[in-house]
Amino acid sequence: MRSSHRLAFLFLLPSLIFVGLFAFYPIFESFRLSFYRSILTLPWLGQKMVGWENYTDLWTDPVAAQSLRTTVFFVVTTIPLELGIGLGMALVMNEVFRGRGLLRAIVLIPWAIPTVVSSQMWRFIFNDRYGLFNFVLFGGDASRYLAPLADPILAPLTIIVAEVWKTAPFVALIVLAGLQTIPDELYEAASIDGATVWQQFRHVTLPLIRPALLLALLFRTIDALRVFDLVFVMTQGGPADATNVLSFYGYKKIFAEGMVGYGSAIAVGVFLVSLILSLVYLQILKSSRLERTPR
Amino acid sequence: MKRAAMLAIFSVGIGIYCLIPYLWFALTSWKSPAELTAIPPKLIPSFHWDFYRSALEERGLLRYIANSIIVAGTATGIAIAIGSVAAYALARFQLPWTNAYLLLLLAISMFPQIAIAGPVWNLLNHLDWLNTYRGLVAAYIALSLPLATWILTTFFREVPHEIEEAALIDGCSRFQAFYKIVLPISTPGIFTAALLVFINAWNEFFFALIVLTDPNLQTLPVGIALFPGEYTMPWGEIAAASTLATVPLILLTLLFQRGIVRGLAAGAVKG
Amino acid sequence: MRKLFRSIALLFLLSPGYSPAAETPLRFVTWKSETAQMWDQPIADFEKQNPGLKIIREIGPQSSTQLHDLITQKLKNRDTEMDVFVMDVIWPAEFASAGWALPLDRFFALAEQKQFLDAPILANRYRGQIFGVPLFVDAGLLYYRKDLLEKYRIPPPRTWPELVQAAKTILAQEKDPQLVGFSGQFKQYEGLICNMMEYILSNGGNLWDDQKLVSTLNQPAALAAVRFVRDHIIGEIAHRGVLAYEEPESLVLFTEGKAIFHRNWPYAWSVANDSRSSKIAGKIGMMPLPFFPGGKGAAALGGWQLAISRFSKKSELAWRFVSFMTSHAMQKRVTLSTGRAPARAALYTDREVLDQLPQLGSLWETFKQAVPRPTTPVYVPLSNIMQRYFSSVLALPDTNIDKRAALAARDMDRVLDLVREAPAP
Repeated sequence: MRSSHRLAFLFLLPSLIFVGLFAFYPIFESFRLSFYRSILTLPWLGQKMVGWENYTDLWTDPVAAQSLRTTVFFVVTTIPLELGIGLGMALVMNEVFRGRGLLRAIVLIPWAIPTVVSSQMWRFIFNDRYGLFNFVLFGGDASRYLAPLADPILAPLTIIVAEVWKTAPFVALIVLAGLQTIPDELYEAASIDGATVWQQFRHVTLPLIRPALLLALLFRTIDALRVFDLVFVMTQGGPADATNVLSFYGYKKIFAEGMVGYGSAIAVGVFLVSLILSLVYLQILKSSRLERTPR
Repeated sequence: MKRAAMLAIFSVGIGIYCLIPYLWFALTSWKSPAELTAIPPKLIPSFHWDFYRSALEERGLLRYIANSIIVAGTATGIAIAIGSVAAYALARFQLPWTNAYLLLLLAISMFPQIAIAGPVWNLLNHLDWLNTYRGLVAAYIALSLPLATWILTTFFREVPHEIEEAALIDGCSRFQAFYKIVLPISTPGIFTAALLVFINAWNEFFFALIVLTDPNLQTLPVGIALFPGEYTMPWGEIAAASTLATVPLILLTLLFQRGIVRGLAAGAVKG
Repeated sequence: MRKLFRSIALLFLLSPGYSPAAETPLRFVTWKSETAQMWDQPIADFEKQNPGLKIIREIGPQSSTQLHDLITQKLKNRDTEMDVFVMDVIWPAEFASAGWALPLDRFFALAEQKQFLDAPILANRYRGQIFGVPLFVDAGLLYYRKDLLEKYRIPPPRTWPELVQAAKTILAQEKDPQLVGFSGQFKQYEGLICNMMEYILSNGGNLWDDQKLVSTLNQPAALAAVRFVRDHIIGEIAHRGVLAYEEPESLVLFTEGKAIFHRNWPYAWSVANDSRSSKIAGKIGMMPLPFFPGGKGAAALGGWQLAISRFSKKSELAWRFVSFMTSHAMQKRVTLSTGRAPARAALYTDREVLDQLPQLGSLWETFKQAVPRPTTPVYVPLSNIMQRYFSSVLALPDTNIDKRAALAARDMDRVLDLVREAPAP
């Protein structure tokens, strides 16, 4: 091995140890379990290696199909909203003005509150009798109050609202870091050339923050596909399975029902969907890096 | 003038977006038990401190916050330390398998955490690290390394080579080049990554629930999950606890965001 | 050699953590209580009476699901560090079958079992053995606004149709747009099963047939009951919000004075009569749940029991702790100080207890008619299927109940088939 490679390996070793032990091994275990039929409460059935059976069952499971639809709907709705709002926040925070520090701290509040806490908060807000949501919409006229958490159509929207509220700051932070690496000279040069604010945004800002945006997009998509805490606290998958996202379905199978093999297969399913989406994003990221204005 | 007005409007808009739900909850913490679930809801509370007293004295909120700070702080420190070293290697050493490794790290964060909770618990049990800070910290480090490494690698890649090359020619070791030159310039990235890792660890619930069952060690999310009774939902205490728990975080972010700005001022080595 | 042994022994003796009269720790996993009298006091008493034994408590959330996750995690991995743990009333069969709970027959004789209420003992038995000792009991009850019923001279309803009629009458005349007829728990969670089984069983139906191991949700009695709930309870006298309610929200509606009838567990009595948080203190009545004509009232059984882990190395000592906590004296103490309903039958005729908690006298009848959810190791998968079915039928408009019931029954049968080949104990 070249000495620089050896050195690189040394630099990487601590990461490899942690990641290998606490991430690779558990994931490998999950993969392995997905090929077994393992029902903890029925030990006499044994831990039989059943090959692809869990996966074929998953393929024909109507609950899993609906769960996939719910999860995908969740992802395609939250991601654009988070990116849009996050980008907007970052642009404002990038400007120099008094109180900017305070605004930045405020922006991080939604992200900083533990999800299990903010989900209780949203449950309280969306309550059909004494919640803020209804009060804002209908004032004191309680007879017109809605019950979002009880409605199979509105319930997913409440989860989306709770999620976007929380994660737009995350996007904002990443995009902000990207914005701050753009030198002022580029903007000055552009405005000397007569570019409007919008044109500067389109031709200077956007291309240069594309890596940051795509990084945020990448991690947010992966996280959105795995959303769990919000559903766990706010709706427990209901009503009528309307918010039964894949992670929650997998959790119920593994922890509540003891069907470890099947639940692991669901987890692997989520993983595969994430993987495919990520590869797509990374292709876009790679081509954007080639296109970027050379500095 | 127009710019200032626009900024003001947007800032207020952002402030409302971020604060209103939280403020509503915070205001709830000052209500009396009767006002809590009044139908229709009351906006302005009558400033009772009962819920705060209950949250602090009877529920030991401060201990939960302290535990969260210890666990999240340690995990962040170590994760950033080993993550930045790894990121430097990935950004600089022109290794043929850099992208494969990054993709592998990414793949780790794609796996639903509830599925790996079981095996992780098993592993910690074998190491006898259950109900210890180090057990949970180790798990959190592993879970945050992908995000930290990605952010830091992206940042390090942006740092131009010239100054480092100069230092290396002058006889600096690779590590010194990393430590003395690249790190100081990359503070925006480092502070960003640190903040995100810290908050991820701060928020995490499920692993903490099953790893720490000793009441003296439990972190904030688990602590607050312990508030509800079998059939009672103490909105007041939860609101009080949430309001209090956010204070250290606001302080932390005020501290960190200055670091992001400082990094910009000091290290704008572009083009 | 001898010198080596002596120095090792000395090292051992001098190392921290060793004390000549070493305390044997017993690890007890339970939920966090709001009062010290629930666990702390009894545990302190036990330690006083048993010097040398120390109870180490590990606490989890009160939420049954979260506690289940925690405890099963340890049991799955054969953790020897847990000795005694609490069980929700629906866990014994699951834990027994999985080989997680220790059979307690050699400690807990039949004669002693008869000292407890029947229903909880039934819930703790699996295939002829007993796996838990009941501690507290809960059962579904009907609460009602005594003042409103008296105002319109309506007697407390004995049947569900009567209840609906009474509610409609009162609603029509009270002219309060915020008042609803009924408040219950219909969120998609375990409590939904409790609520729905009370309707189904009181119509002569059942959730599934224990002997034949087939689902009975698509039988006429069950279908009719579910249809009644959708069309009359939710459709006419409750508001749609109950589809997201667990116990806390549904109780608040009642204590705010916005509901005429309310289904809940015994704990609601003292909360609703507490004038600090309830607007209807003193105006409420409590009675066994109604039934359908031709049927018999059925109350879902709840409650907690104590179990010993099969992997514990100190089962004898663990039993000492369990029998202490469930003894007559201790149960009486805890009942008096916390108001929770005990599992021992004798306490329901105890003068002292009845003086302080008179409602326990009327609860006696309800507890006698309480029905545990069917005991089977696959209870949770079955419950999830049923929750899905009930929630879909109640929450989605215009669903075909017969079709959905047939689908749910089919899924349940598939799960029940797994238990069919269970080997003899």
